[in-house]
Amino acid sequence: MAERATLGPVTCAGCGLLCDDVSVDLSGEAVRLHPSCPLGAQWFAERVRRPADAPMATVDGEPAELEAALARAAELLRRARRPLLYGFEGSTVEDARAAVALADRIGALVMTGSPAGPWPGAPALPLRGASTATLGEIRDRSRVVVIWREDPETSHPRLLERLGFGAGGGAHRTLVVVDARETPTTARATLRLRWPGTRDLEALVTLHAVQRDRPPASSDIHEQLVTLMEHVRDAPHVAFLYGPGLTDGEGGQRRALALHELSRALSHERHVVTLALAPAAGTIGAQEVLTWQTGYAGNVDLASGHPELLVATQPIDGVDVALRIEGAAAALADGVVTIALGDRPDADCEIWIRTAAPGVHAAGTAHRLDGVPLALQAPLAGDAPTAAALLEQLLSEVVR
Amino acid sequence: MTAIRIAGGCVHDPANDVDGEVSDVCIEGGKVVADVGPDARRIDARGMVVMPGGVDIHAHIAGPKVNAARRLTPDERRDDPVDGTELLRSGTGGLVPSTFATGYRYSLLGYTTVVEAAAPPLAARQVLSELRDTPMIDKAFLILMGNNQVLFELIRESGGAVSPQLRDAVAWWLDATGGYGVKLVNPGGVELFKQDNGNVHSLDDEVAGFAVTPRQVLEAIGGAVDELGLPHPVHIHANNLGVPGNADTTLETMRTVSGRQAHFAHLQFHCYGGRPERGAGAMRSRAPELLDYLASHPEVTADVGQVMFGPAVTMTADGPLSAVLRDLGGDKWLNHDTEVETGCGIVPYRYRSSNYVHALQWGIGLELFLLGRDPWQVMLSTDHPNGGSFLSYPKLIRLLMDRAYREDQIGRANPRAIRRTALLDGLDREYTLNEIAIITRAAPARRLGLLDKGHLGIGADADVTIYHDRADREEMFATPRYVIKGGELAVEEGELRRSDDGLLLSGRAGFDPEVERVLEPLFGDRYTVAFEHYPVRDPALREPARIVEARS
Repeated sequence: MAERATLGPVTCAGCGLLCDDVSVDLSGEAVRLHPSCPLGAQWFAERVRRPADAPMATVDGEPAELEAALARAAELLRRARRPLLYGFEGSTVEDARAAVALADRIGALVMTGSPAGPWPGAPALPLRGASTATLGEIRDRSRVVVIWREDPETSHPRLLERLGFGAGGGAHRTLVVVDARETPTTARATLRLRWPGTRDLEALVTLHAVQRDRPPASSDIHEQLVTLMEHVRDAPHVAFLYGPGLTDGEGGQRRALALHELSRALSHERHVVTLALAPAAGTIGAQEVLTWQTGYAGNVDLASGHPELLVATQPIDGVDVALRIEGAAAALADGVVTIALGDRPDADCEIWIRTAAPGVHAAGTAHRLDGVPLALQAPLAGDAPTAAALLEQLLSEVVR
Repeated sequence: MTAIRIAGGCVHDPANDVDGEVSDVCIEGGKVVADVGPDARRIDARGMVVMPGGVDIHAHIAGPKVNAARRLTPDERRDDPVDGTELLRSGTGGLVPSTFATGYRYSLLGYTTVVEAAAPPLAARQVLSELRDTPMIDKAFLILMGNNQVLFELIRESGGAVSPQLRDAVAWWLDATGGYGVKLVNPGGVELFKQDNGNVHSLDDEVAGFAVTPRQVLEAIGGAVDELGLPHPVHIHANNLGVPGNADTTLETMRTVSGRQAHFAHLQFHCYGGRPERGAGAMRSRAPELLDYLASHPEVTADVGQVMFGPAVTMTADGPLSAVLRDLGGDKWLNHDTEVETGCGIVPYRYRSSNYVHALQWGIGLELFLLGRDPWQVMLSTDHPNGGSFLSYPKLIRLLMDRAYREDQIGRANPRAIRRTALLDGLDREYTLNEIAIITRAAPARRLGLLDKGHLGIGADADVTIYHDRADREEMFATPRYVIKGGELAVEEGELRRSDDGLLLSGRAGFDPEVERVLEPLFGDRYTVAFEHYPVRDPALREPARIVEARS
């Protein structure tokens, strides 16, 4: 079948923004997107330019028939003592639903963060909650937008445009960027604040104190904090955007908690919302599914016949078989047998089974970084099954 | 499909004027039938009570706010694991159970149909996905329209009248989402909260930036729903929920929609006397006035929203209300603003019998049940999990049926609060089984326009619950002997016997597709989602379904 020259408008799953107004131009050598986005163009290119002789599956690095690979994978999972399901960065909600169903039956660990540990900031939410909003709310209402140690111009290239800071936009609004680095995002700031990440907790706690008119002893960043607070105090609606730059590493949960405490305190005088910049399109949806099916978000252990929530500090021991679903490889302990379901070959796995790429060859649902569930389209025909279909087959094989 | 004869039970089927008659109920092909053959399975129901399956007209079981509440309260569920089996999925229980556990537990309680009462249309995909994972029950959801900026524009253009465009827009939204009906939550107030923490305080406050008032929203959208003939009338969470003196707002809201069909949600939270400036300590009951209004306006119905002493999780599209609960000492608070459409607030909560306000709320709820003249108008709900879990329904039923038990419980509640209710005025009413059948299944089904549910007449859905006739009504209603769903035995003696997906119930009314030419530019100016991608059409999410058509 002849490939169409232009696809769309479709939803781009190249990052957590899930822009759903994208036209994909396949007429030239390079894939081009309109509106332009380098990350999205690369994402589509990797999925629409597939070698004609790509195998459907590999076993021990050698091309294999789909049914043989599935049978082997099912056997491995059936015999696994401590199976792990992880990945999900590129999965759909439908994939995640099928994955948790399989995990429930085989008593697996499910990790929607990295096997090295969940995103450290995520566990802050159950402690005190958060105030959040969808993109349109921030675009239309926030007079001050504070980006905290993130570089969305690189990680989410159309974020500022979609928040109303595109060409000619944002004239009466303040874009504050907290970052000691020089990045494409800091170049867009109307107010730049510089201190190292090691002082973020101090900064957040101090802002909270300033908000309560109980400023602590002055420090070399005090003046910047007062300036930020002056902008916040003048605005009826403020948004804080943050991500791994604030919450990764030791103390990440405490810093995330401090941000939410600050936004809650500020909320008494004005409307304040936060937005976490999740990097991957599939992760939010997988966490939503895990939450509604098990009651817990993040990482859940189903080994005892019911869900148990794993917290960040718990070690993940004893995994012998890992099933990776539409995600990037992670460092696992030596001896762990890996099965991967994904749209691109992975020679490092014992078993790899090709899937229809969500958003290109497979339709489905994904959650935008602000939680909005969106349709992924399948603008191109493909010959591979979805991860959801493979997982359902694996489940039926395992329980046979 | 299975043929079943439920033999010799004491049948309570108030929709068909059957009140405790000993008779057989026959089932075949998923429906109630006149008779079945000799090979039919026979359930010996002698000495047992037979009712239609329960219908919950107002609960919160699926969607982004429910899932956010799960994330916010992991500790609350840790002690209530639900083990998986070869038949059933695992999960967790507590006040906001996981989806599978929600379906199982409703079924074990004898409920077969549940309405999720407040879903953001923008999140329809998530609501539908969660409902797909909520087995055993048929389910519907109401879509939030009381703070929708696009509808505000249409209402402003029509001067507050019901316009053809507005009617078409309401019908389009149902079609685009799979929703069953229309919910209005604090009309106008949520929009102002999202602007700058504002709110409306009367029906004639203007919503800044839109030049519409809550009264116009009520008249226009309530009128549109009425004129469309949707199976369920507009479902209203009135302004000023929880505010002392809010009975005036509620009565004014009822007068505003007067002459049109309307359902008022969790009326208990809207029955308060007093004045805002005098604080909650001066709050009192005005339930009798609201009931007087209902008595003279049969077009208006309500569910109670009873609070039960103990833990709860407040979750609401009424963002400003949730901010108040936060300031009352909520350790945890989650707020989420959904562009164009609505807000959301979640605060875990605890109702204490010793607390004046909580005891007053509890007492007002009981007043609504016990002073109400027509049980077809005042239906059972706890606004799960806002007033308490749906699992507390059996205890609530015992409070209504067992005067001695009720008086014992009244004696344990804050006496100053109870004195401000009618509960000490010799209120000796005890609900009959038939009245319980009305408020828990027959009336909700009728009000939802579900003509095949809530009764056991020929052709009805074979959703049937069979109880041991125990003196302890709490025990009786907590553990049905049998539950039959869609003609198949689902529960037997407290055990689930099968897993069934249940149906999605969607409402539908005709509309002029040209309305999309009106809506698309309004979407483009406001949403960050493309108009063409907004509707949810996927069969995997919309089916299996039953479409309930509007009255033409």
